[in-house]
Amino acid sequence: MTASTLLVVLALQHAVPGAPDGQWPMPAKDYAATRYSALTHITAANAKALRAVWSFSTGVLAGHEGQPLVVQQTMYVVTPYPNVLYAFDLAQEGYPLKWKYRPNVDAAAIGIACCDVVNRGAVFANDRIVYNLLDGHTVAIAAATGREIWNTKVADVRQGESTPMAPLVVGDRVIVGTAGGEFGVRGWVKGLDLATGRVVWTAYNAGPDAEILARPETFRPFYDKGAGLGQTTWPPDGWKHGGAPVWGWLSYDPALDLFYYGTGNPAPYNAEQRRGDNKWATSVLARRPGDGSLVWAYQFTPADNWDYDAVQEMILADLTVRGRRRRVLVHFDKNGFAYTIDRATGEVLVAEPYVVVNWAKRVDLTTGRPEVDSTKLTGASRGSVKDICPTLEGGKNQQPAAYSPRTGLFYVPTNNMCMDYQTTPVTYLAGTPFIGLNAPYKPGPGGNLGAVIAWDAGFGKKVWEIKEKYPVWSGALVTAGGVVFYGTLDGWFKAVDAKSGAALWKFKVGSGVVGNPITFTGAAGKQYVAVYAGLGGDWALLAGDVRSDDPADVRPPASFMPDLARHTSLGGIVWLFAL
Amino acid sequence: MAIRAVVATPLIALLVTSGQQPVPPAVRYEQHVFAGGAAPPAGTLENPFKGDRRYAADGEKLFSAFNCDGCHAVGATGGQGPSLADGRWRYGGADGAIFHSIYYGRPRGMPAFGGVLPPDAIWRLVTYLQGLEPAADPSTTSW
Repeated sequence: MTASTLLVVLALQHAVPGAPDGQWPMPAKDYAATRYSALTHITAANAKALRAVWSFSTGVLAGHEGQPLVVQQTMYVVTPYPNVLYAFDLAQEGYPLKWKYRPNVDAAAIGIACCDVVNRGAVFANDRIVYNLLDGHTVAIAAATGREIWNTKVADVRQGESTPMAPLVVGDRVIVGTAGGEFGVRGWVKGLDLATGRVVWTAYNAGPDAEILARPETFRPFYDKGAGLGQTTWPPDGWKHGGAPVWGWLSYDPALDLFYYGTGNPAPYNAEQRRGDNKWATSVLARRPGDGSLVWAYQFTPADNWDYDAVQEMILADLTVRGRRRRVLVHFDKNGFAYTIDRATGEVLVAEPYVVVNWAKRVDLTTGRPEVDSTKLTGASRGSVKDICPTLEGGKNQQPAAYSPRTGLFYVPTNNMCMDYQTTPVTYLAGTPFIGLNAPYKPGPGGNLGAVIAWDAGFGKKVWEIKEKYPVWSGALVTAGGVVFYGTLDGWFKAVDAKSGAALWKFKVGSGVVGNPITFTGAAGKQYVAVYAGLGGDWALLAGDVRSDDPADVRPPASFMPDLARHTSLGGIVWLFAL
Repeated sequence: MAIRAVVATPLIALLVTSGQQPVPPAVRYEQHVFAGGAAPPAGTLENPFKGDRRYAADGEKLFSAFNCDGCHAVGATGGQGPSLADGRWRYGGADGAIFHSIYYGRPRGMPAFGGVLPPDAIWRLVTYLQGLEPAADPSTTSW
């Protein structure tokens, strides 16, 4: 890195001038994806006095994943499809709208969004709000006026591509990726010019080195060395419809000038149709934002047999591992292992199960590969393989964890479920699902379907656990006041003590929570906490009996979760809380 | 390439039409409101295989082979797409209405299969779906 780029990078760490700690300018608040706020007004001692101070109906009934942004006394909210963007004036009583932006989103995208029509949020940069529409467009909207500055088609709905993920902006580059692991896409990330929306580079996650931007002079993986792995670890042409989508979270290390993201499952689910490791599906990739070059990659689940996407966030922290201070990324994979990885090299330092895992015995740190239990391997010829833990929903799915440098702990929403897994051969047919799976779920050991845990990533150990009746599908927030916030599928929004996990406060928000709480400094210097209520996000998980908005779609409850609809239904509410 | 792969499956036998059926220019929907009480001049389509279990069994195979189960789930009980087994229909449950939904697709995400499936195959799918027994009262029995 040259001195001039270093200066640019350092300036960007505080992309929003003024009081960065009281704002929330990107999905996880910071490039390190910590979802940690230094605010201390709300504490473990006074959290019991929290109360609802404001709410707003988004007018949309769908899974409200993602989170609002707060910049310069304005709160920005993106809804699920049809992806309306609201700007609320936090300086006025009642927080009236400054403006709203209503894009014309192709309804065909509804049919190729595998897991509800969610949107995981926007990012603020250079006085504009940048986010993805479900139908494969990235837009930049003037933060002051709501005017559309540019609108770029990045993905093709007719090829099964959709764009629910939240972009990341690094310097003048907007980084976006495509979903579609259930539709046989060929996954990619693209780098757009923040000023114009022009696509500057495209990096595929599988295929020839030239197209995954694995250049011999810059690609330095720690474990899987060699040329052409994105092609040779697939059957001929298998990578062309091999999935490896990007629908989760991105993070960025300014000092190393690397951004990190995880890739989803290889397609189709029947592993016998794609023999080989299938690189770089179910992997973490580290790239340069400027030109997209791949610097290192590591595959969590080679030859994925269980739909263990790796799109969960990569949280960047400096931790002591076996007595040595290391620059690491911490990742809680769908496959049930929590990984602590040297983020400069891709070396796995710690890999321990954070939920019940039985598909692999352990991860070999010298090879980086899991030791797989062969009785849990799947494939069309194996019929229904029973009792695999965790399920394809993951030990954790997209719901992001939070990290407090004060406690040194990671706060992780988790699922506790196991599954049977039966695949069938499928034929690729553009615009239709490329899946071939029947996988009923069942509760994991203990019977509680979820939990929030505190995790020590230096040792790979659980410190405390709060059992929850249902899978915990909301993200976590942790503050310097020593409070962790999260929500539950049955519609409770909760505050717990970051040190002990002790319950401090809860409030019923009207619909299940699958979004991620944030906190900010509002008018008169007061600390507020915001979260969405709006059940949804994965109809395979929810069975669909929680919806009431479609008289022509009535379903029985999920066998493993038969009573969720007693406690909640669809919604779309933005909540604000304060002392 | 995709179409070649489809035709290569053993289900090719199901795709051979027995005499070309004309594709309808329009289908009358019984659930619509007719302005002035006058139904527009449009055809009605009859399912030639209605109630025939052999054709329903073919339709069940096609339902999997053409990835319908990827959205509507095995047994058509609903996934990212709506349930087709609950006896309720967004776009009408008459023979021609279901045929139309599959042949031309629907705007909120249902792909048009008329380019890869001939009418005979679509009628087999219609026969399969019409033969599914809806549960009596699925939403309240388990509480």
